[in-house]
Formats: sequence, C-alpha cells, structure tokens
Amino acid sequence: MATLAAGPDTAAEGIVARNLTRTFHTAVRRPGFAGALRSLVDPLRVEKTAVRDVSFSVERGRLLALLGPNGAGKSTTIKMLTGILTPTSGEARVAGVVPYRERERNARNIGAVFGQRTQLWWDLPARESFAVLRDVYGVPQAEHRARLAEFDSLLELSEFWDTRVRHLSLGQRVRCDLAAALLHDPPVVFLDEPTIGMDVVVKEQVRGFLRHQVERRGRTVLLTTHDMTEVARLAERVVLINHGRIVLDGSLEEIRGRFGGTWQVHATLDPAELEGAPPPGIRVVRREGPRVVFGPDGSGGPGGSGGAAPPTVHRALRAIVERYRVTDLALEENDLEDVMRAAYLRREERPVRDAAEDGAVADGAAADGAAGDGAAPAAGRSA
Amino acid sequence: MSLAVDPTAAGRLRRWARAWCVAWRITRLNFRAQLEYRAEFLMSVGMGVAWQSSVIVFATVLLQRFPGMGGWSGADVLLIVGMRMLAHALYVLLFGRVHSLSFLVQEGRLDACLLRPMPVYRQIQLSVFPTHGLGDLAVGATMFAFAVQQAAEPWTAGRAVFLAAGVAGGMLVEAAVFTAVSCAALRFPSAFYWSTWVDELMATFGSYPLSILPKAVSGVFTFVLPLAFVAYLPAGVLTGHGAALGVPFWLAAASPAVGLALFVAARLLWNRSLRHYTGVNG
Amino acid sequence: MAAPARAPHRPWRTAWITPRGELLSPPRLTATALRLTVQVFLVVFLWRGLYAQTDGAVAGLDREQAVAYAVLAVLALRIRELDRHSGRDTVQQHLHHGTIVYWFLRPVAPRRYHALRALGDQLYGFAWVVAGYLLCRSAGVLPPPASAEAGAAFLAGVVLGQLVLYRVMLLVDLLCFWTLRDGAALRIVQFAQNLLSGAFAPLWFFPGWFRTMSDFLPFQATLNTPLSLYIGRIPPSEAPHALLVQAVWAVGLAVLTRWLWHRAALRVVSQGG
Repeated sequence: MATLAAGPDTAAEGIVARNLTRTFHTAVRRPGFAGALRSLVDPLRVEKTAVRDVSFSVERGRLLALLGPNGAGKSTTIKMLTGILTPTSGEARVAGVVPYRERERNARNIGAVFGQRTQLWWDLPARESFAVLRDVYGVPQAEHRARLAEFDSLLELSEFWDTRVRHLSLGQRVRCDLAAALLHDPPVVFLDEPTIGMDVVVKEQVRGFLRHQVERRGRTVLLTTHDMTEVARLAERVVLINHGRIVLDGSLEEIRGRFGGTWQVHATLDPAELEGAPPPGIRVVRREGPRVVFGPDGSGGPGGSGGAAPPTVHRALRAIVERYRVTDLALEENDLEDVMRAAYLRREERPVRDAAEDGAVADGAAADGAAGDGAAPAAGRSA
Repeated sequence: MSLAVDPTAAGRLRRWARAWCVAWRITRLNFRAQLEYRAEFLMSVGMGVAWQSSVIVFATVLLQRFPGMGGWSGADVLLIVGMRMLAHALYVLLFGRVHSLSFLVQEGRLDACLLRPMPVYRQIQLSVFPTHGLGDLAVGATMFAFAVQQAAEPWTAGRAVFLAAGVAGGMLVEAAVFTAVSCAALRFPSAFYWSTWVDELMATFGSYPLSILPKAVSGVFTFVLPLAFVAYLPAGVLTGHGAALGVPFWLAAASPAVGLALFVAARLLWNRSLRHYTGVNG
Repeated sequence: MAAPARAPHRPWRTAWITPRGELLSPPRLTATALRLTVQVFLVVFLWRGLYAQTDGAVAGLDREQAVAYAVLAVLALRIRELDRHSGRDTVQQHLHHGTIVYWFLRPVAPRRYHALRALGDQLYGFAWVVAGYLLCRSAGVLPPPASAEAGAAFLAGVVLGQLVLYRVMLLVDLLCFWTLRDGAALRIVQFAQNLLSGAFAPLWFFPGWFRTMSDFLPFQATLNTPLSLYIGRIPPSEAPHALLVQAVWAVGLAVLTRWLWHRAALRVVSQGG
C-alpha cells in the first residue's frame, strides 16, 4: 500500500494494479451420462486462477493496450479494475479510488464498453438512451449537448441516433456505445475489444475518436484488442498477458525486439564497403552483388535466448547506416501479428519477476529498453 | 448433394432411419446439457410437481362449483381437459420450440441452422431439450388417465382408437397454430407477444365446452383460432354431444384429420415463409 | 475533466424507459388495446356462461361479482405484462447476454435501478388499467365498488398488492442470478402466481385446504385481496385485517429481496457477471 501511495500523482490518477490475483471455483462435470447425473447431486469443484500477480500502471492521459490470447485473463483484469469483480488478493486503484470497495464512486470516474454487449436500451432511439444516462450520471444539460456535438463530429452519430437501437448495425451501435460510455466525462475508460466485428472504415473512425479522447481530453484508456493494426495505431505501450500472468510490459518496439527479432534490412551498399563485418547483433543473411540482406544475429531468433538481445529494427537501421555507405535501403519488418503469434505461443519460459516487483513504481528504472533477456522493463515508463 | 442419393425405397428408408437416429442423439445431448445446470434442473423438476397438483386442483374446482356446464356432465368436461392437456404436453415435447422461434431469429441462431444439412424446422425443434415438457407430460398423462377412467361409456376398441387419434389430432392442431404464428417470427420480433397470447387463449378456453359461449365466439374458436378441434369436438363425439357441438357432426368426427390437414398446411406456409426470410440486420 | 459542478442526479428518469419504448411503437399500443378488449369480452362471456346453469351465488359470489372479479383480474394483469422481453431488457436476458455488468457500472445501485424501472412500468400499466376500467364501467360489464368503504379499501389494497407483486416478480428476477438458463422455472413461478393470486379463477371457488395454503403464500395478496375488497366479498369490516396481511407480506418480502440483492451482487462480484 505504501507503494501505491508513494506513486507519482499521474499514475495514482490513472490506473494502478498491484499483484492482482483472481481465483475462480467452478464445477466441472464428470464424464459420461452417469457422471452428469452424479454431478447433479455432488458437483466436483475445481480451482482455477484466471489472473496471477498482475501489476502494471497507466498514467493519466495515456493509452495502454492489454494484449493476450483468448482466455489469458484480460477480461478478468478489466473486471477487477472496473469494480465488477473483487480480486482474491492484490489491490487496484483507478483514479484514486479502489474500484471494488467504492463501486459507485468509481462508477462516476470510469466509462466502459464490453465488446458487443450494449448498454443502450434496445427499444429506444440511441439519443434517448443518452438522455437517460445523462440523468443517471447527473450531467448538466449544456455540457451534455456540447459533448454530444463533439462525439457527433468525430463519430457521425447524428445520421442514426434517432433510430431505435434494435435497428442499428453493429458498427453504428458500438459507436453509440462508445459515446454512451464517455458522456459523463470519465477520466478513465475501459474498452474490452471495442472494434470487434467492425468494418475498416468504422474502425478507423473509432481509432480517431480514441486518439482524440486520449490526446485532447486527457483520458486514461485501457484497451484490449486482437487487432494488431489497432495496437500499432493507438498504443505506445502494451502489456502482454498470457496464462494469467504478465509476460511483458513495454513499448511495441520492445515486443518486437523480444518476440519478433526476424526483421530484415535490404540494403544496397557502396561496393567498397562489402568486406567489413556487420555491426554486433546483426548478421548478413544474403548477399547478391551490392545488395545485402541483414537480419538479427543467429542466437537471437524469436525471443533471443542467448547472449545480448538482437537490436531492434530501428537500432539496427541506425547501426547499418553508420557503418556502411548505403545507396538504397528497404526495411522488411515482421508483421505485428507474426510477432504476437510468437509471443502468445511461447510458454512462460521464466517468471517475469521484475515486472511484478517494480510494476507499480511508475518511473523508468529500466526504461532504457536495453533490458536483458527475460526481464521486462518496468511499468509506467514514460515514452 | 442429390448425386449420391439412393432413390430406391430401401435407400429412402435407410436415410429416414438415419435422420431419426441423429435427432435422437441430439436430443440425448440436449438432455445432458439440461443436467449441466444443476439448480435449474432440480428446480424445474420440483416446480413441475407443484404445478402438477395445482393444475388438477384448478380443473376440478370449476367442475365442482359449476356442475352441468353447458349441459355437459363433470366427467364429460373432464375428458376435454384431459385430452387437451395430454395433447398440449405432446405438442410441447415434439413441436414446442416454434413458440420461441423469435429468440432464435434475434440471436442469429436461425442463420446458423440455414447452413446445416438438416431441415431447418427439425433443427429448431432440436435446439433445446424441453425439460418443462416432462412436467407437462406428467400432468397431462395423469389428468388424461383419470378422465378416461371417469368416462360414463365403456371404452370399445373403436372409441379407444378415436380417442388416441383425437389426442394426436389435438397435438397437431396446436402445432399447426404455433407453427403458423411462428412464420411471423421470421420477420417480426414482436411475434412472441402474439404467440404468448394465443398460448394463453388456448389454455384458458380450450378446457371448456365451447357451447357455454355465444355462437359468434365459439365460431371464432372453431374457424379462426381452431382450438375447438384440440379437444372439445373429439371429446364431444366421444361423450355423445355430437348433435349440439355447433358444427356438423361429420366435421367434429373428422377432427383428427382436420388436425393433420392444418399441420400440413402450416408446415407448407412455414417453408414458404422461410424462403422469404431475410435474416437479422447487423 | 471531473468537473465538480454536477447537475442534480435524476436516476428516477429511468422509470420512463419502458413506457417511452412502448409509446414509440404504435403497433404495440394497438396490440395491447386489442388484446385487452378481446380478453375482457371473453372472460365476461365465459363467466356468464358458467353461471348460466346455476342460480344464485357460488362460493359466496353472485354472477355480477364473479364477472367483476374476472374483468378486474384481466385488467390488473395488464400492469405486469409489459413486453420487456422483446426489448431484451429482462434481468434474465441481461444475465444471459452479459449486459448486466452495466448495471453495476453506473452510479445507481442495481437494486434501485430495478425498482425505478418497475415503478415506471407499473405506472404505465396503471394508465391502461384506468382507461380499461372506465371503458368497462361505461360498457356495463363492471359494476361500481360494493360501497364507498369498499372502494377506499380497494385502492389501498391495490397499492399494497402492487408492492407485494413487485417483490414477488423481483424474487423471480433475483433467482436468475443463480439459475439463469432455461426460462422454464420462471414460467412455472409465473403460472403459480396466476393461479394462486386468483387471476385464473377467484380463489373463493377453491377448496378450503387450497385457500389455507394460499393464506401462507404471498400471491393472494397481489390480486385476490384488492379484488375481493372491490366486489365486497371481503366486507369493509374485515378490510383492516386483509390490508395488514398485505403490508406484512410487503415488508417481509422487502427484507428478503434486499438480502438477496446483496447476495446477487456478491455473486456478480465473485463471478464477474
């Protein structure tokens, strides 16, 4: 708790999760028909830890993407931070409030959209749902009108907000849901897969809206998504969670560095340069006359388990340009989806203790990003 | 698909048997699925017992309080009640899912049905196991057995066959009515509201001799919402009220056939409606 | 951000949601009017038909009383039968679709929100009842209350009955937090409510043991008590006792449902909705 209180103000007003753990007890059925009957009277209970020791923080006015495969524990984490779920152990603070202890106070500070679940009333036009929420949250009329106008300019809501929700298309409905979640001007916003199932145009519109909310309105946003383009466009920082644990907390660059070390730099070099050894951590993959393809050094396959981690593509680029005289240069980076696939598929090879211990300290202790292998940089790094 | 179809009678029989086999297997799985939700299942069963006693109380109350209803003796009215309840239970077990078709449509599950190689109507019936239908059947069968035992005239073979045909016909009438109503559910989500109302009307007015109602009303219940064919008319034939049923005797005697005809017509209408199904938006 | 100047918090405006949805869809209004009219006429015919063979009172109810009881029951059921289902707005559906989480994310306690919504629904249904009542009175199918005292006791009984009814229905809704799958159990509870409240047939027709049983259940307080007060089957001298029983049920169920709300919230909190 001392750590929580000691954290810089910006983090305390954003989101702080410290050692959050959540265990569920579920009844499993026994196999076979007789088993099903027996489970009726004597259910078999098992314990399952959905989230284990998760710590991270998001400063005010920042967007963090929480990534992970299905069932990794993202939604459970979000539910604990919104106050719907009480953690088994650990603690959370959202805009200075412990969400599950002061649910109603927390509710005023947060807005939330859970995927395709709508909070709008099916039989009312969206605009009337907005008016109901205005009354529930006690938003002054002038403010409400101004905010609706702002949301309309970004999301083009007025084209359909007089239609009853049941007749809206998915994209229209989720846009209305986003507006509904932000109508009471919450400083912290949780979005659990908000763009799932939307077409590209609407997705782009929603991303623009979110960027606006973060950059102009200074809202803190925690976003989960499976859409890597979205991550690339929106998130400066990501937390990667798998099997209920944090695997990595850092910038996209760092994720690429750790899991996607398979970038390639296609360079055309001055013929005089061809003999020099490549910079450390970089090897020559192919050579055809003056055209050379560089890649990360051998041991540094995905994850780079031995020696120093291979440089990120940007570092490598700089090193290559500094070392050689380059006449032409092309970059072939791994698709972010490939990177994530590598990250998801990798079993927890070693516990990421550093993140757990330093997670709540919202300062860049290991902000260098040159952290050794396996050690995730501390949370809360200001990028 | 039709390429590999064996056109002979034996082939048809084999396909038919296989289809039933699949339906049976799905039903078993559905039943298992119901067992998964422990509290719900136990409550359904427990409530079924409570329900069983209350329905019988209700039916006997009115008979005791109002003897000689419309010129019908208590035992005769009881036969209407028993036949209707058994027919209803069989309808719930075999065809009852059409009632909630609008939910399948709204949740987009009908679209999934359209993609599978099995008749859509059958898939709807197999969408969930009607646990509460077991309660219905217990009530219905008890009531029916009691009514049959109370009947004044002895049960000859011919009368017994007509009785069975009457119950089957009643089931088909009810299935026909709800199948026809559910056609609307393919388009309008509000169809559930009407379906519920029809259900309520059939439950309320299906158990009385319709002769106590004014001619116009009993005419509506015969030719518009044909609940007279569920139990009133066949029971009237069996209890010797044939002359005063409000319809020609031959029509009352043909009730089982009317049930079958109505059901076939409803199914044709349903298939037609399905062809015009446009899906849910979003 | 986080402007301190908040407008007055007006969660009671949520009461307006269902009526608003209804008013926005005229076909539904027509359907309601049609169904109500047809149903009233059918029960009038039915009870007149049943009484045609008897002369005088049955179980202390004469023909006019029985018809009045049945008509009022049809009207009263209307209060409850708002179509929240097609609006995907029942507790069961919210639990099924997972949208119940939003109830727990707003600065209005779910318990309060549920009560406000029900209040709005009941007031809206009440408007229908009043209209239907006046029409039935003018059409001559419904006599006036047995006496002025009976009328006053009836009004008190209606209010208390609605309180009990709300909590019985709430009990069913709360049950969904534990058993949310098939609606069978809910339908059966609803059936029991109809039967034991006198919606199907006046409770006075039932045998003694049945009425004794229903004395120990809350259902008769929802409908049978006010309707019996109206037709004078419960004389005004016995009205205080009948009203007291209703009040006891209203309070007892309030305590029970409050506790269940607490448990339901804990359940959401421990399972995540």
